[in-house]
Amino acid sequence: MAKSSNMTSRSKALVRRETCSAYLFLLPNLIFFVGFVIIPMILCVYTSFFDSTMGKDAKDIFIGFENYVSLWKDEIFLRSLKNTFVIVIVSVPVVCIFSLWVSAVIYKLKGPALSTFRCVFYLPVVTGSVAVTVVWKWMFNNYYGIFNYIGQAFGLIDKNINWLGDERYALWCIILILLTTSVGQPIVLYVSALGNVDTSLVEASQVDGANHFQLFWKIKWPLIMPTTLYILVITTINSFQCFALIQLLTSGGPNHSTDTVMYYIYYTAFKLYRYGYANAMGVVLAIFIAILSAVQFKLAKEK
Amino acid sequence: MNSGVKRTSPYKVITLIILVILAILFAFPLYWIVTGAFKTAASINATTPDWFPKEWVMDNFNKLFSRQTAPLWELAVPFGSKFSADGNPIIFSAGPVVPASIRWLVNTVFMAVMAMVLTCITSAMAGYALAKKRFRGRTVLFTLIVCAMALPKQVILIPLLREMSSLSLYNTIWAVIFPTVGWPFGVFLMKQFSEGVPGEMLEAARIDGAGEAKTFVEIVVPMIKPGIGALAIFTFINSWNDYFMQLIMLSSTSKLTISLGIAKLQAENSTDFGLIMAGATLAAVPIIVVFIAFQKYFTQGIAMGAVKG
Amino acid sequence: MKKTMKKLLAMGLSLTMVLSLAACGSKEEPKQEQPAAEEPAQKEEAPAESEAEAEAPAEEADSAASDLSASITLWTYPIGNWGNSETVDSLVASFNQKYPGITVTVEYLDYTNGDDQVNTAIEGGQAPDIVMEGPERLVANWGARGLMVDLSDLFATEAGGEIYESVESACKAADGAYYEYPLCMVAHCMAINQNMFEAADAMQYLDAETHTWTTENFLKAVQAVYDSGQQNVGAIYCSGQGGDQGTRALINNLYSGTFTDAEHTKYTADSDVNIKALETLYAQDGINFDASINGGEEITLFRNGTLAMSFCWNAAQQTNSDNAAAGTTNNGDTILPMLFPSDDGKTELCGGIWGFGVFDNGDQAKIDAAKTFIDFICNDPDQVNESVKASTYFPVRPTLTGIYDGMETADTMNTFSEYFMPSMGDYYQVVPGWAEARTAWWNMLQRIGTGGDVATEVGTFVTEANTAAGSN
Repeated sequence: MAKSSNMTSRSKALVRRETCSAYLFLLPNLIFFVGFVIIPMILCVYTSFFDSTMGKDAKDIFIGFENYVSLWKDEIFLRSLKNTFVIVIVSVPVVCIFSLWVSAVIYKLKGPALSTFRCVFYLPVVTGSVAVTVVWKWMFNNYYGIFNYIGQAFGLIDKNINWLGDERYALWCIILILLTTSVGQPIVLYVSALGNVDTSLVEASQVDGANHFQLFWKIKWPLIMPTTLYILVITTINSFQCFALIQLLTSGGPNHSTDTVMYYIYYTAFKLYRYGYANAMGVVLAIFIAILSAVQFKLAKEK
Repeated sequence: MNSGVKRTSPYKVITLIILVILAILFAFPLYWIVTGAFKTAASINATTPDWFPKEWVMDNFNKLFSRQTAPLWELAVPFGSKFSADGNPIIFSAGPVVPASIRWLVNTVFMAVMAMVLTCITSAMAGYALAKKRFRGRTVLFTLIVCAMALPKQVILIPLLREMSSLSLYNTIWAVIFPTVGWPFGVFLMKQFSEGVPGEMLEAARIDGAGEAKTFVEIVVPMIKPGIGALAIFTFINSWNDYFMQLIMLSSTSKLTISLGIAKLQAENSTDFGLIMAGATLAAVPIIVVFIAFQKYFTQGIAMGAVKG
Repeated sequence: MKKTMKKLLAMGLSLTMVLSLAACGSKEEPKQEQPAAEEPAQKEEAPAESEAEAEAPAEEADSAASDLSASITLWTYPIGNWGNSETVDSLVASFNQKYPGITVTVEYLDYTNGDDQVNTAIEGGQAPDIVMEGPERLVANWGARGLMVDLSDLFATEAGGEIYESVESACKAADGAYYEYPLCMVAHCMAINQNMFEAADAMQYLDAETHTWTTENFLKAVQAVYDSGQQNVGAIYCSGQGGDQGTRALINNLYSGTFTDAEHTKYTADSDVNIKALETLYAQDGINFDASINGGEEITLFRNGTLAMSFCWNAAQQTNSDNAAAGTTNNGDTILPMLFPSDDGKTELCGGIWGFGVFDNGDQAKIDAAKTFIDFICNDPDQVNESVKASTYFPVRPTLTGIYDGMETADTMNTFSEYFMPSMGDYYQVVPGWAEARTAWWNMLQRIGTGGDVATEVGTFVTEANTAAGSN
């Protein structure tokens, strides 16, 4: 870029002016970012070295790394860490593949059909997770839920399954609901990305005798890559934010099989009153996520 | 295969059928909420599901609206509680008394719109600076932003709560809005978009004597508009659905949001499914109507955003 | 250039500041100016203050009424109709007739999120002034953390002296302070669907007159109902803490176990008899450990005929007519309330005591106003009957009688006071570490329900609970 050469030739005053104006542009955002993300994060790290609890006369006691040491011995924490990553690792690719498949099927449809499908898949997103949860809770009900009703009616299951009350199924039920509330946006994105693929490129490759698979893999996939990356990022973010589903459906149960670190932090803080411990968990999770984001970003940059 | 001649292969038929089944599964919760809101108590509690209301009744809505009440709006002097004699906020304007659930809607709309507007303004400015300006601390800042992007808010739950308390913002809608605005995803997105703005255009504007602000408003903003649209929609939907911050920060009936209100209805009246459905309908229908009415802009906004993101 | 920049900035900032929706504002009590004459900085509940207080709000309430002016918040859990805004509004209205200067703002909590809500409010610096709940929260939890005001002056009143001793002692903390002033109580019991029992010919196993049965007969009855084709007879619900008194009472009574020691210092749920009870229940056909429902949801399932019995019952449930006539399920089956089965014929019901506690927000005027409110609601002879009636439970003083006379529910309430209230057992919920122990309890039930070894899991529970008890 021509810019960097300009930089050197500019006088010091100009550099200062540039820095000054850059920070003026950044200032409004920095107030919020520093004030409500960075400062709390620093406080979080600080408190994580203390034994801190609720109470008027409760004094924070400095205990060094003790919270972190006990974290690695806390089976529930390890389990919730595992669950968190299971949710992310399962839901992110599934959301991407599912929405790509749906978009590939619907993007060539006629106007009204396309917008109907697009709209329907977007509905759970706009309905709001809390409202959607109310219905899913009923659908999964052990005694008269619709899944057991249909399963029994078609002879798929011979005994009612306690979907949310059974360790084997509960987490998968949560993931299923999470999927329905997260594919809306990716589908909209993919539909328009696929629609924007240059038809002349497609036709040219067809002339060259490319089959369906090659057409997709060699031509379309690279073109929709930026969309895919954006979808990966927002889906990862959404999967980590899945709190309402767990709090409203299972409260982490049965037997902590649906506990995520996010829920377990809340639980440790306000059910067990162990603030320092909860903060230590937060720090560990934040480190994991920061690494993950950095890696994701690095990969995206290379592509 | 020519694009003009379309074969209806069995494969295509099967995929379409699967798609329709999936679509039904996706639409079902909403269908069930809305019809459930109009069902009688007997019909809704029936152990064999009533697929369609046999009789449409307004009972559930009547019950919902006859519960607690709250003023439609309340405007208070900022930090008034610090000065007022009784330690309560100084309210200079209060709306007519309405059912609390209507107030929750007002709160939610205010929250989502406010978060959206503030995020878009601040992120666009910051994203532009990060993309187009060379300054000390840029790399550090950008690394911080990338790392904090996916950070769940639960991580900073306790410090944030204490901070809001010391700023006297606890139990105000701002306690939900501010952390949303501070969340760095928007800056990241806007930076990616601003990088597409050609440096020559900025240089040309500078030579023409346009100030920084003018350059930003007249040249950068129009070019990153699609990105702003995408961010606006993303922020709006996310803060509308962000149940966690609301749960932590809001406690009085008049301050609740609609999601929180329904969650409370659900916890308080696990026996009264109809009432919960009525609340859920109230929460879902306005935003769906908005969505359908603006579907074009909605989908275009998101879509264009992604092309470059 | 800078000017425009500033404008932009100013716009952003003014947007945030000026448009401050009411939301903006909090009750920062400490900052508040107090009349100079008032006791300065009296944060600790010194005994001297308590005595002085006893005179002011409690006895001279009438004369002081007009000049008391404050605005206080009251948070109630759904205790009968105390969770219903219409009822509470009318109670507050009658309070305001006498004390027009005190504004009471009411918020309604639920048993799923209520505790978290109070806890976040405490951390947020906006704890309510008055909270209505039981000693397990007010005394053993928030009281023990030094967040509550000592209410011994209220117990020193004439009405306060009449309170049943067992109730009074439940409201007393280990340090001798009273963090709750009780209003009402009830004995939690269970209930059966009589029609289902009749259809299964299981009524022979119980005494419908005295509402009692033995453990042996209870198990026979469950088996009979199960054999008659009712797959789900009862559910050991354990998705959360809601209604956990039912599961505790059922398990403890089966073979006469206890939950804590008599001094309320440690948990004893790992005794052989409790383990035996859990193993028996786990093995019993028709009894499912269900980690997807809590007490409230179990009641719903019982009312809609899915379950043949409920372990989460009490007088208020029996008189509830929201979905169907009182005392019947949604489809009209008769509901028969029952004591929990016991092998020694002596059932100890888990009691519920509800009353008021005052959070110490550092503002004496609010504390006084809060005490005035409690005194009016619980002690005013013209008011207390209405207050208790609103709870749909029973009074905590023997001198209050005939509260439900003339009401439709009078017969049911009499049945309960005759056959159920006398079986009220030890109020052990004030044992230290209670909040944590409750959580550990439903987690333990979940583990047993998914096949965990009973003795091991109960052992884990007791260890966790006792650790919490020891650290508090």
